[in-house]
Order: sequence, then structure tokens, then C-alpha cells
Amino acid sequence: MPTATASPTISRRALIAERQRRSLAWRVIHFLGSLKLALLLLASIAIAIATATFCESSFNSKIAQAYIYKAPWFTFWLGVLCVNLFCVTLTRWPWQRQHLGFVITHYGIITLLAGAVIGSKFGFEGNVTLHRDAPPLDRVMTSRSVVQIENPATGARTMISFDADLSRPSERRPKKIAVPDSGLTIFADGASENLVWASKLIPAAGSKNQPGIALDFETKMMGQHLSLPFVLEAKGRANARDFFGLAGIAFLAELPKREPLNIDETQIVFAKFAPVVESPSHLKTGIELLLSADGKTLTARLPDGKTATYARAEMQTKPQHLGLATFTLLEYWPDFVIENGKPGSASMLPNNPAVLVRLDAPRLPGSGVPEKPFLEIAPSPDGIVYQLGRGERLVSRGKAKIGEPFALGWADWTATLAQSLPKAEIHSDRQPGPAGTAGIPGFRARLVASDGSKSEPRWIGSGDTVTLVAGKESARLGYGLELLEVPFTIALKHFEVPRVEGTETPSNFISTVEFQDPKTGVKTQGVAQMNHPASWPGTLFSVTTGLNYKFSQAEWNPNDLGQTTLQVLYDPGWLFKWMGSLAICIGIFIMFYLRPKRS
Amino acid sequence: MIRFLLALALCGAALAPAQALHFQPLETIPVQEGGRKKPYLVFAEESLLSLSGKTALTLDGRSQPAVEIITGLWLQPEKWRTQPIILINNLALKKAANLDEKRKWFSRDELAANPSFLALLQKADADRRTAKDGKLTGLDKQVDEIGARLATFESLRMGDLYRVVANPAGANSQWSTLHTDDAVLTKLRAAFAANDDAAFARAASELRASLAASSPQFQPPASKLALEVTYQKLHPFRWAWILYLLAGLTLAVTSLRARRAGYALAWLLASAGLLFQISGFVSRIVIAGRPPVSNMYESVIWVAFGAVFFSLIFEAVYRGRYFLLGASFAAVIPLLLADSQPLALNRSIQPLVPVLQSNFWLSTHVLIITLSYAAFLLALGVGHIALGKIILGRKPSAALYNYIYRTLQIGVLLLAIGTILGGVWANYSWGRFWDWDPKETWALTALLVYLFVLHGRIAGSWSGFGLAVGSVLAFQSIVMSWYGVNFVLGVGLHSYGFGSGGFVYAGTFVVAELAFTLAAILRHRSSQTPKTIPTAESAA
Repeated sequence: MPTATASPTISRRALIAERQRRSLAWRVIHFLGSLKLALLLLASIAIAIATATFCESSFNSKIAQAYIYKAPWFTFWLGVLCVNLFCVTLTRWPWQRQHLGFVITHYGIITLLAGAVIGSKFGFEGNVTLHRDAPPLDRVMTSRSVVQIENPATGARTMISFDADLSRPSERRPKKIAVPDSGLTIFADGASENLVWASKLIPAAGSKNQPGIALDFETKMMGQHLSLPFVLEAKGRANARDFFGLAGIAFLAELPKREPLNIDETQIVFAKFAPVVESPSHLKTGIELLLSADGKTLTARLPDGKTATYARAEMQTKPQHLGLATFTLLEYWPDFVIENGKPGSASMLPNNPAVLVRLDAPRLPGSGVPEKPFLEIAPSPDGIVYQLGRGERLVSRGKAKIGEPFALGWADWTATLAQSLPKAEIHSDRQPGPAGTAGIPGFRARLVASDGSKSEPRWIGSGDTVTLVAGKESARLGYGLELLEVPFTIALKHFEVPRVEGTETPSNFISTVEFQDPKTGVKTQGVAQMNHPASWPGTLFSVTTGLNYKFSQAEWNPNDLGQTTLQVLYDPGWLFKWMGSLAICIGIFIMFYLRPKRS
Repeated sequence: MIRFLLALALCGAALAPAQALHFQPLETIPVQEGGRKKPYLVFAEESLLSLSGKTALTLDGRSQPAVEIITGLWLQPEKWRTQPIILINNLALKKAANLDEKRKWFSRDELAANPSFLALLQKADADRRTAKDGKLTGLDKQVDEIGARLATFESLRMGDLYRVVANPAGANSQWSTLHTDDAVLTKLRAAFAANDDAAFARAASELRASLAASSPQFQPPASKLALEVTYQKLHPFRWAWILYLLAGLTLAVTSLRARRAGYALAWLLASAGLLFQISGFVSRIVIAGRPPVSNMYESVIWVAFGAVFFSLIFEAVYRGRYFLLGASFAAVIPLLLADSQPLALNRSIQPLVPVLQSNFWLSTHVLIITLSYAAFLLALGVGHIALGKIILGRKPSAALYNYIYRTLQIGVLLLAIGTILGGVWANYSWGRFWDWDPKETWALTALLVYLFVLHGRIAGSWSGFGLAVGSVLAFQSIVMSWYGVNFVLGVGLHSYGFGSGGFVYAGTFVVAELAFTLAAILRHRSSQTPKTIPTAESAA
């Protein structure tokens, strides 16, 4: 573009050059507002935030936030950007009409960034889980992890911002947290993302007199391993537990008597006629047997639809198993006739083949629901005795000594008696789970007293409160997300999840909540659905200025439609962000398309 | 000549096998699938696409359209167990499963009888339990895709997907399939088996009438079904790229001779392409009842549209040829990708995920952001012309550089507005204005990169040539924020658009662009006599 040669421009340029020569302050302003600095800022911020997205992709968003987006240096750099934006508008002083868009845009960015600072300094973000039947809540959970320490002497509580997931304390780099006014120090020296309750069997101290065992469960197919302790409870009550919903396990003083699941049944199966079924108990197995027309194969079909076909010749040599059923072929007649009231064969030709089969199989269950399997265990002098069954009925019995695995018949799970103690108790403790298991985040802590005595190290999970004892001193320690009080109460009235037609896929989440102001007692209703948050207070003033609490849909529980989790946001910088945004858009437009034409 | 062609066509008709059932009566029967009611033709094409990656397959020496194959699966399911219609593209997978590497399609029965393939399926299933966020990678992921194809095949073979019977319980309730012994279905089956075209047409019409009569209040309007069938058959976006390509070629060929006539013809062709695109958009909006902004396919199409649209506006103002030339080639690439990669870019119309539903801000935000991509795509096209000229040893005119600047302006304005509107929408939908979500962050990165290019020009660090280089290099940040966030990073709140694949294409594109720019820079250096670069328009 050709440079303008009109005389006012020259005098303005001369003025700008002149003030730089005379004043140091103007020289600094021109340096801070220089385009070179702007280019450096643009490039470095672009590179930093691009790096952060890769960081987030390979680690997690917390790391990206801690080291870049919310790191002090990044905030400082944004501050420098604001200075640059401000100074560059000063360097153009005195402004002319052509500078209108330029000034609006650059001040718009400053306003937007100011809004962001105000929002992060004075606002907060959190969430609240509401239940339809629960009483109204007056506090919400922020996303900030804190440690709360209770001073043993004074009872005073101190809250310290600490996130084990972020600061990742380790034995080489432990994190020290001083308990105020006590001379006590807490050392965090380990972090884990998947703490689980680990239970183990230990010899009982004192008067307890209950035997206990530990069983190791293993499946090769799914590559899982699990150790479970059991202790007989007082008065011989069973120690029962559920095994992944797959089966029930109970440890008892002695095995209860159970009727066998299987019954005896005999069937004479014809290739050409309906079978004759007989059972001494008058119960039925419901199994269908079909003999091929040439009498060479026999097909069995269980009530659950499972089928298998056997060669008759092979069945005559050994019994066959299908599911829990056993088939024994007792007799074969190629050309079945009744002679003198007894069955026999008229010839060796397969004219009317028939077989007599004994079935040892489960009785036909009353309903179509498969009955849940169980394992019952009782102590015995040299190990354990156990019985396996389904529903109320027995399938098999057995004995096991320490180290002897036995099959359970639930997929390919096996159990091994790992430990057996005559007097035992179960000790539960937070421990990092094996890789891949779901657990909660937490850290390992140790209390150190002023005299140098130390407590045992303990894992503390998010939401736990523990007491650590070092020598004669002790301190109570809680870890978890910070709770923040809000100036109103909120309760869930109604939660609705409409679905996409013909599917179970949610198309929206609609929470109807009731706010109450404790001062005035006034109740107001709000609806939070996707893309439409509920807010309190809902007055025009607070909606326009953003001085309100916004509740938007965050999570739901598919198994409990009476429960919903809402995200809570309080952002006093809102108005600045909006005004800044508007200014940027308008400013750029003016700059590009409404500039006065120069001659 | 014409007579010869006619003879050829007749000859072809005579050679075709007698099998020629007509499926038109079935085409507009509504089927409920994937959260909406679609015409049977669309259901058939989408189903075959998900099984075999194509909408027609050559089987038994004859090309069979989707509607024929999917109807066959419905009426004679057992015959299809041994037909090779399940696509396996991945070489590593074929090797691991001992499958013939030269073949692309395999039958259900040969896969079900392949122990190594079954073992791979089982392994993928076991790995899912321990995978991070349940996401499979590498071979597992490939195997899992085939597993999903097999599952679709089984659902088709069992007849579970042919949900044509309206549910009287309510508009949103699940439709059911026809009873196996349904009288009309039996007739249809018999006619299909006998290959009796007249009987098949009768039975199909009877079926359509009886289905339409059940719960008529929940039947989609016939006009909408007819529109969708027309849209499905017309392929408006395919016509669009063909016309754009022709427009671009016309401009290129007539750059020296018959310039005026060529320019007029190119205008005509590009406008016709634009009209095809608009008709495609309108159809999709009517069919889906929402703006076309829900997935990668729709955004790719929209960006191509925007590039041509802006170029025509600029052409109307400047009559520069370069806008249209750059836009037509730049628009062909995304449209061609969308047309030829149906598995990576899913063209089916699907219901919106909750976070995208019924929101004015969303539509505005996404449409504006993608329009800014379109402007940058146009700048990329014009930038290529400038750099191409330099590589060929010619000097681009100042006007050409000015065109790049004008296009970049549009892009920057729209990207700034779109990104900020994104903040407004996030504030509305997610409760906060800005949260450094990867998609927002990359939109901002792209904006900063383009601002860098523009400010560098004001500062005098570079001039027109720098803008041309910048328009090409900065577009890589658009590739990242558009494709990379969804397909490479794969994290964040914009997950409804996530997908996989195409990494090789995208990578090749970026590398090729870098190489092209480098060549232009070297050429520019060698042709430059050492003199001071004239300072561009000073902002002071």
C-alpha cells in the first residue's frame, strides 16, 4: 500500500517521533506496545496452548492446567499481553477515526481477559449431587482437593489445598504439611489413583474365638485373581458375600443339608415315535432326546436350548455330559418290538430303532430364570469341606486342603484354600489396587512428632478421615474435595430422561429443582436441562450481570433416575467477558470493513 | 456415434441376467432405525455400507444394489451366510487371521469357522476390560470393527433390524418387525424366491399399504420419505464436486485464450454446483429437522460450500478469476473425500446427541466457525496459486496478494466471532465461558496463528509473499483444530464428533503442503535480488 502523504499524517508522525525522542516514558510505552513484542506473544501463546492440548491427550487435563493453562507463568504472560494491547493503543495517540476499530478490538481483548481473571479469582466451579428423596442441600462440592487437619490440642481445623494427583508425592520427593501450632508434621510420600479396600486375614487378638479362612479365586480365561477372607461370625452365623453378582459364597460352621439338584429319569427314545419318560420322583428334567432315523446318532436338547449330538456307538461305551446333565445309554434295539411283555429287537436292521437312556440331570426349574450358583464352605480338621449348587439344590460336594485348587463351575473360576486360622479376624486397609482396577485417588501419609517419633504410614483415600498416631501425639486428617456453602438451599423435585425414538439413548436430561432463600423463606423453581441451565437468583439484574449461580446438567445415574448431578458455576466476571467479546467482534468488523478510505 | 452407444447399451441390457426384480415399491416404506424413521432404500444402503463399505456389490458376477442384497437378507437369510459381503480392509488383521490378503470381502460362515479370527475377537473383548476408558487400539480396534459388522450382519439375518410395523403406544416407542408368518411377507418371500417380478411388485405394494394403515398417526409423511429417497439417489454433493472441478478446469484452460467466455462458463458451472449443494443442504435440513452441523461429514461439505460461496462473492466484486480458480480446486478435495470415504465420514443422518440439541447458539457457532474454515480454505487455494506461480518462475501480481489478504480478513473475522460464540454457547450449555477444552484451545490457536500472519505484515516483517506462505502454513492449524482434535487427540468435551482413521491422508496432506511451501520459499529466495522489502501499509 502506498504511504499517505497528506500533511496532517506527517505532522502526527512527527509528533509521535518527537515525544519518543524527548521522553523515556514514551520510549518504554512504545517498546511495550511494539509489534515485535506482539508477534512474540502471539507465537509463544499459540505454541504453549497447542503443547498443552497434546499434554492433555497423553496425560490428563489436570496436568495441562497445572503446568500451562493455570500456571503462574502463563497468567503472567497473559498479563504482559494485556500491557502490550494497552500500550499499542497509546502509541497511536492522538487517535483518528481510522483507529476506532483498532482501539475497540484491543480494549475488548483486555476486558475479556479481565473478566477471566475476575471469574477465576472470585468465582468458583463445583458440582452437587441431588436425590429426589433427600433433604435440601446448602453446600456444593468444588473441584479443589483439600486436606483438613484437626489440631489435637486445640481442636481447631485447618484447610490446606493439596491434590495428591497433581503434586504426586513420592518417597524421593515427599510433601510436608505442617499442622499449625503443634510442632507436628505430616509427610505425604506416595500417591495412587486407584486405592481399594484390601482385606486380609490376621490372627485374632484377645477373646475372639472365630475360625477364619482365606480363599484365592482365579480365572485364567479372564486373567483375574482375587483373594477373599472369611471369618465365622458370632453365634455361628454365616459370613456370606456376593461374588461379582455371579454367585453367592458363604462360610458356615457346618454345611447345611441340601437336596441334590439332579434327579434320575429314564427315557425310551424312538426314531419314529414319541419317547416314554419315567422318573421315580415324578419330577421332570425337561430334556428332549431325539434319535436319528437310522439309529446312529442321538441329539439332546436341554431346556435352556443347549444341544449336542452324539454317536450312539460312542454312547454305548461311556456316559456323556452336557451342562449339568449326564446321559447313560443302557440299551439299544435296532428293530424295537414288545415280545412277551418285554422289549426286544425283531431283527438287526434299523427298522424301528430305539434306545433306553438314563438321565442324571437338573430338575426342570419352575421359572425361566437361571438359578444363581452358590459355594458353601465349612471348616474341617484338615482344611475345609465345601458344597456347590444352584438355587437351593446341591450339585456337588468336596474337601480341600491348603494349596489344593478346586473348580467352581462358574465360567473357569477355581478356588484355592490359601490360609486357615482357628482364631482369626479380618483387617481392612486402603491399599493401591492392581493396575487396571477401579479405585479412588489418595496418598500415603505419615505423622512425625516434634520428638522425631513417627506413625505407621497409611493410605488415605479421597473422602476418608483417619487418625494418625506418632508416639504420644496424634492428629486427625481428612482428604477430599472442598465443600463450599451457598446462600440458598437446593432440592431435586423431578428428574426426567427422555429417549431418542425407538432406543434407550437419552435425548435430554431435565432436572426440576427447588431453590429456597433461608432468609426470606421464598421458594423458586428452576429447570436445568441440556443447554439450558437453571440459575439462582433468577432476577433480571442477576441474569444480566452474571451475579448468579448457574446449575447445568453434568452427570446422571442410569441405575437411579431419582438422582442427578449438576454442575454449579458462580462467575462474577461474566459481564466483562460478554462486553469484551462483543467489542472484539465489532472492532474487527470496523477495522476490516468500515475504515475511512484514504486518498 | 450415438447409434453406436445405443447399440452398446442395448447389448448390455441383453447380456444382463434374467434376474431383474424391481424394488421401487419397497423403497419408500419407513423403517425405524438409528433413532429415526427412514425410507427402506436409505436403510438398505446404510446397512450395506456398514457391512461392506459400499452401496452395491458384485456377487455371482453381477452388480447388486444395496436394496437387493438387504432384501435378500430379509427374505432368504440363510443364503447369505456364505456370501462374501463383510468388509475386512486391514492387512495386519487379514495376516493375523490367516485370511486371503487379496480379498476384501468375506462371508459370515468363513469368519465364524476361522479359529484365529475367533481368537482375535475374544482377545479384543478381554482387552476392552483393561483398556484405558474401554478404548481399544491397534489390531484390537480393527478386530472390534469387524465384530461390529458381524453383529450387524447377524441382526439383519435374524430379521431384528427390519422394524417396519409402527408402534401404536406412542410416537417415540420402538417399532416392531413383521411376524415371520405374516401373510403378506410370505407372499413377498415366495415372489422373491420365484424371481417373479410382477408378483413381487404386487406383494410389495400390498405390504406398503398394510404397513401404512397401521397407526397412521405415527407414520412419517409420504412427502418426506419421497424427498429422502430422491436425495439418496441424486447424490447432490457428488454433482457439486464434478461441477466445481469442471469450473476450475475451464478457468485453467482459458487463462490465455477465450478468457471471457471461459470465465462466464466457469461462473455458470460453479453456480450450478453451488445450487446442487444448497439443494442437498435443504434436503438434509428437512429430513433431519435441524441445521446440518452434527458431524464431520456435514462440516466437510459445509466448508467446501463456504469456500465456493465466498469466492463467488469476491469474484462479483473483483472479477479476479483467482478466487474461483482457488476455490474450485480447494472445494473438490473435501467433497471428493466425503464422497469416497463413507466409512470415515459417515453420511447417514442421525439424531443429535443431547448436548447438541435444540440450540440456536450451537448452530450459529458451528456454522460460523466452519465458514471461517471455508474462508481459510479459499485463502489456501489462492495462496497455492501465488506460490505455484513463484515455483514456475513467474511473479504474482500485487492484486493476487491483495486477494489473499481479503480472504484472510473474512476468515479472521469469522473465526473470532465463531470462537467467541462458542464461549457464549459453552456458557449457556456447560455453564462456563472458557475451559481450555482442546477444541476451543485449537480454535484459539488457529486464530492466534492467523493474527500472527496479519500482524507480521503490519510490522513489515513480511509482505505479500509472506501472506501467501502464511495462508498455506497457518491452514495446518485449521487442519489440527478441525480434524486433529477429533481424530488425533481424541479428548475433550466435543467428543460427539470424534472418530478415527484418515491419519495417513491428513499426515500426507500436511507434509505435502510443507514441502510445497518450502519449494516456493527456496525459489523466491533465489529469484530475489538483495533489496529492502518494501514496508506494507503502516498502521500508524
